[in-house]
Amino acid sequence: MTASQHIYDRRTVLKAAGTAALGASMAGCLGGSSGAAGERTVLDPPENYERRKDIDLPFPDYGEMLPEATVPAPLHDREVTTTEFVGDRHAMLTFVYTSCTTVCGTLVESLRRVQADSIAEGYADEFAFMPTTFDPETDTEAIIDEYCDRMGVDREVENWYFLRPETPERAREIVDETFGVAYEGGGGHYEHAAVILLVNKDGVVERAYNGGPPKTGAGVDDARTLVEGW
Amino acid sequence: MRRRDLLVGAGSLAALGGGAAVAFDVVGSTDESTIGAVDLDVISAPESEADTVTVPEPGRVTFLELFATWCNVCESMMPELAAAHDSTDGDVQFLSVTNEPLGNTVTREDVAAWWHENGGTWTVAADRDLEVTQALDASGVPYSFVLDARNRVVWRHRGRTDADEIAAEIRAAGG
Repeated sequence: MTASQHIYDRRTVLKAAGTAALGASMAGCLGGSSGAAGERTVLDPPENYERRKDIDLPFPDYGEMLPEATVPAPLHDREVTTTEFVGDRHAMLTFVYTSCTTVCGTLVESLRRVQADSIAEGYADEFAFMPTTFDPETDTEAIIDEYCDRMGVDREVENWYFLRPETPERAREIVDETFGVAYEGGGGHYEHAAVILLVNKDGVVERAYNGGPPKTGAGVDDARTLVEGW
Repeated sequence: MRRRDLLVGAGSLAALGGGAAVAFDVVGSTDESTIGAVDLDVISAPESEADTVTVPEPGRVTFLELFATWCNVCESMMPELAAAHDSTDGDVQFLSVTNEPLGNTVTREDVAAWWHENGGTWTVAADRDLEVTQALDASGVPYSFVLDARNRVVWRHRGRTDADEIAAEIRAAGG
């Protein structure tokens, strides 16, 4: 990787975060995206789908395939491949750093809400949750362990895999280049796109929530619709 | 044009304070700014044995903060809320509401313990079904709201704020 790949101008980050800007595309960065045509989805397209297609979002959107990356899951002493649950479970992913005091907690809580609902409603074994840090230098195994406890994550049901790329370079490859979730910063503070992916058992994205924290509870409604409609 | 006036009024609430409430009156009451009252589970209340609390309470100004026990910013806000609470009189419904999922990992007892550790002396309740959270169209915590006596949202603020601002917004709403 060249040094220039580490440098992201502010516009790129803001574009990914807000999806408001039109123009330059990062779609080429997507790992496994194969387009929307013919993929099976349960949820209807998002309200602003036509406009989202025009923008050509850097992360996989509705109807596109879940990118593949293999990342250590330190609380499980093994590596997890983001696509390993395809055929078996629906999945939710998001990208955070644990020392974040703004949107990250809300992103992780959105996954946690669905986990709680999956336990209460009996679909815990139909879901896998994969929050991923892009700050592995700060987010050690011990920090991640403590963070999951603070967030109220249920470890008993074995559907929550917190992923930690080994190095900042791997984090850049996986989060930014493979998943198209832009971030910049360091030393405990980042600007980053706020993205949650809801992915069905075929590995097709059903919903990409972005542009800020999702409305509280929105993920649960969509997850239930997905489980019931599958 | 009227719609635009309303949006301008809503957008400048923080700056205008009481003036914004007047702006709402100018364009007339709107259903979309009025929140229907719901009953929430009380986790702790200083002077009440009731299991539920009606939120927002019609006829009184309401201040409420949505929070979660995992949220460090919410924790750091507790002294500010305590100071704001101390500066209001009894004619204001003042409460904190958690909307985190409660159950096997985080229980209402955990919330009560967090509450007392952080000096909470006013009413704290749980929005288990997200009724209030979704009526307020909220995302994220902490998220502070002031509603006037007719249950209209006259101030909303996501993230950190302080005692002076909260007290000023409560006063501006007539509380």
